[in-house]
Amino acid sequence: MTVKLELKKLSKQFPGVKALDQISFSIQTGEIHGLVGENGAGKSTLIKLISGALEPTSGEMALDNRSYRPRSPREALNAGISTIYQERSWLPYRNVMFNIMLGNEPALSGARLDFQNLRSRCEEILRMLGARDIPLSSRAEDLKAGQKQILEIARALVQQSSLLIMDEATAALNNEEQEALFAVIKNLKASGLTILYISHRLEEIFRLADRVTVLRDGKLVRTAAISETTKDQLITDMVGRSLSGAFPQKSQPSARPLLEVKNLSAGKYFRQLSFTVHEGEVMGIAGLAGSGKEELGLALFGAFPLESGERIMAGKILPPSPEKAIEHGIAYLPDDRKKEGIFLTLSVKRNISLPVLKSLSNVLGHIRRRQEQALAGEWVERLAVKTPGLAELCENLSGGNQQKVSLAKWLASRAKVIILSHPTQEIDVGAKFEFYQLIAELSRSGKGIILISSELPELLGLCHNILVMRDGKMAARLDASKTDAETIMRYALGHEIDVKSSA
Amino acid sequence: MKISRAKVYEFLAENGFIIIFIVWCVFLTTVTDSFLKVSNLMTVLRQASIVGIIAIGETLIVLMGAGMDISLAAILGLSGVLVATTIAGGFPVFTGLLAGIFTGGIIGFGNGILVTRVRINGIVVTLGMMYALEGVAFVLTRGQTISSPAMQTLAPLSRGYLGPVPVPVLILFLFYGLAFYLLNYTVFGARAYAIGNNERASWLSGINIDRYRLLAYVFAGLLAGFGGVMQTARMGSATGAMGSEFLFPILTAVILGGVSLSGGKGKILNVLIAAVFLTTINNGLILLNVPIYSQKIISGAILILALSLDRLRNVRS
Repeated sequence: MTVKLELKKLSKQFPGVKALDQISFSIQTGEIHGLVGENGAGKSTLIKLISGALEPTSGEMALDNRSYRPRSPREALNAGISTIYQERSWLPYRNVMFNIMLGNEPALSGARLDFQNLRSRCEEILRMLGARDIPLSSRAEDLKAGQKQILEIARALVQQSSLLIMDEATAALNNEEQEALFAVIKNLKASGLTILYISHRLEEIFRLADRVTVLRDGKLVRTAAISETTKDQLITDMVGRSLSGAFPQKSQPSARPLLEVKNLSAGKYFRQLSFTVHEGEVMGIAGLAGSGKEELGLALFGAFPLESGERIMAGKILPPSPEKAIEHGIAYLPDDRKKEGIFLTLSVKRNISLPVLKSLSNVLGHIRRRQEQALAGEWVERLAVKTPGLAELCENLSGGNQQKVSLAKWLASRAKVIILSHPTQEIDVGAKFEFYQLIAELSRSGKGIILISSELPELLGLCHNILVMRDGKMAARLDASKTDAETIMRYALGHEIDVKSSA
Repeated sequence: MKISRAKVYEFLAENGFIIIFIVWCVFLTTVTDSFLKVSNLMTVLRQASIVGIIAIGETLIVLMGAGMDISLAAILGLSGVLVATTIAGGFPVFTGLLAGIFTGGIIGFGNGILVTRVRINGIVVTLGMMYALEGVAFVLTRGQTISSPAMQTLAPLSRGYLGPVPVPVLILFLFYGLAFYLLNYTVFGARAYAIGNNERASWLSGINIDRYRLLAYVFAGLLAGFGGVMQTARMGSATGAMGSEFLFPILTAVILGGVSLSGGKGKILNVLIAAVFLTTINNGLILLNVPIYSQKIISGAILILALSLDRLRNVRS
């Protein structure tokens, strides 16, 4: 066995976050090497370093025993490394041929496209992939999800790469398409290609991989031969961090329902979800990326189209509109704070007062500035927002303080149910714990909280109940005081066998 | 084959203005005697030539998702002024012609550098450039009309005929032939579409996006410079304000022609048809003896109607 790619103490530092910390392992020539880890473990960053989309802060790589330092995707491609990213990378309005040959369009003299060559090479590659049913002249947007995935593999083959990186390749595929893809991957391996296969679906890792590397919080946990490990062991490796830091005391929720959800369905995103959030309850929603939990959060707020189902508050069925949801006392903190949560170029004061500006102004719409000032001041103080002043623009605040401002705006509007979508994402540890205190206080004051998060310790430490979603369905409803991270992960992954439901 | 509703909408969004164009032509043919005459049709095409040629450059920029060049009309103006002053200053006509075209190219290069290297939004860069260039054109002409007998040498470029076909119309078709070839049969074209379709995927596939976008701005500048030469040839003179009338039709031809403003989608021949449609509106209204101010109302209304079709695409999503 020779070493194809060796990583030596590879680190990547982002402002405020160490995404990868001294990662060292090697990928053997001709193997399928699995890479697993929770969301945020550093898998994506690692792929970007290898494929030249990012440069490491420190550390080295060696490809075929020669130093390898890609400074752009082009250099990685030239070195024989192709990457199939999770994000869609096809050209929606271009036909199959142009998609496959992107960046490698065959030319005659004078940069004239060689259509004959274009067609025959695409045909040959699709035949190799056993995908002759993909029509060459179809636009990519008209293809099925599985076929689009094949396009990207085809593109990698055109590049004649010797190492192929696949990031969550099956995420958008149905069972049949997955099987077809597995067959393709096995063929590729048989033809001598080395593959780095990233997936959070452990059964895929066990079906395909020869060895597997586990990342957690940017650190390498271990690399093991697949024959010498078990799913249980991998799950423990993935979630095995300690429940660091004390979470605030949980209060006792009341039995009075605030928000009732009945049979909520939205196409492929989620199906037939029913639950109730009570006064003072913190309800957690767990699940892997793509499980539908973010969409559910949006839908509860009326911002995601529903097929069927009802959201009931105080005996009234809520119409599907964020405006009405706000009127009824529902608030929503989006996960993409900078894009959707706050107005970066508005002042702290205006960010807080915005939802209630109407009540702060007279008939003519003139804003009573003193009242606005007082309201904003009150919440800045209560949430301990660190800002030089109320007139400061939000873009000058730290992530944690921005998050507080976006929460303050809903508290000021006296919301009764607060939906938090990944509220502690991208904020530093200190701010996280302040935020946890805040959530606990809100629940004590009788608000209903829906906490959507990928961080299991956070869910366990804050929530009363946790709904685990898998592929749009409710996989389990767990009592947070009687469960643990591994159980949640099992349900999220679909390995609940021999685990009893604790709810 | 099943045709989905979405496909129908999309077809209308991309080609719907052609239907309105045809209806308008049929209408003009029935109510006027002169519309369908060869001489009138040639007049329409000749009037469409300069706008059409510059719209090719604009299409390239928009297609690559590189923003939009607002300054092309101003480049035309400045280059026209330079052509006239060079020739009036006693230089050979050919020197004047080259000065006009190359000035356009250099300004386009400047725009492209500001957009791709300094990373300023394309519309902002070219808006600023537009004002600056107009200023330069006025400074050079001191507000006067510039002309000289030597400029008659340029006249065939805009008033000449090759058989029954006016020279500018010939040039128009030649350029569209080249542009069609470039976009559909070359690596450059394939990548231009790719960049507009998915910028990130193109970058990850090793395509130098900035270089392509820079080239688009240079091409657009060169074509606008050439447009300045043609306009000066047509008028036999140049003024500081000669570019301004082109701003609106250039942008309209590209949008009306169905080039997606977010890039990646659009047919160059539709842009040609749109440019011709625009001149047909004016031509028809003159034939119908519509008073000049009412003409504006009607041409505005027809444009809005045609552009509304573009919204169908958004309605469905």
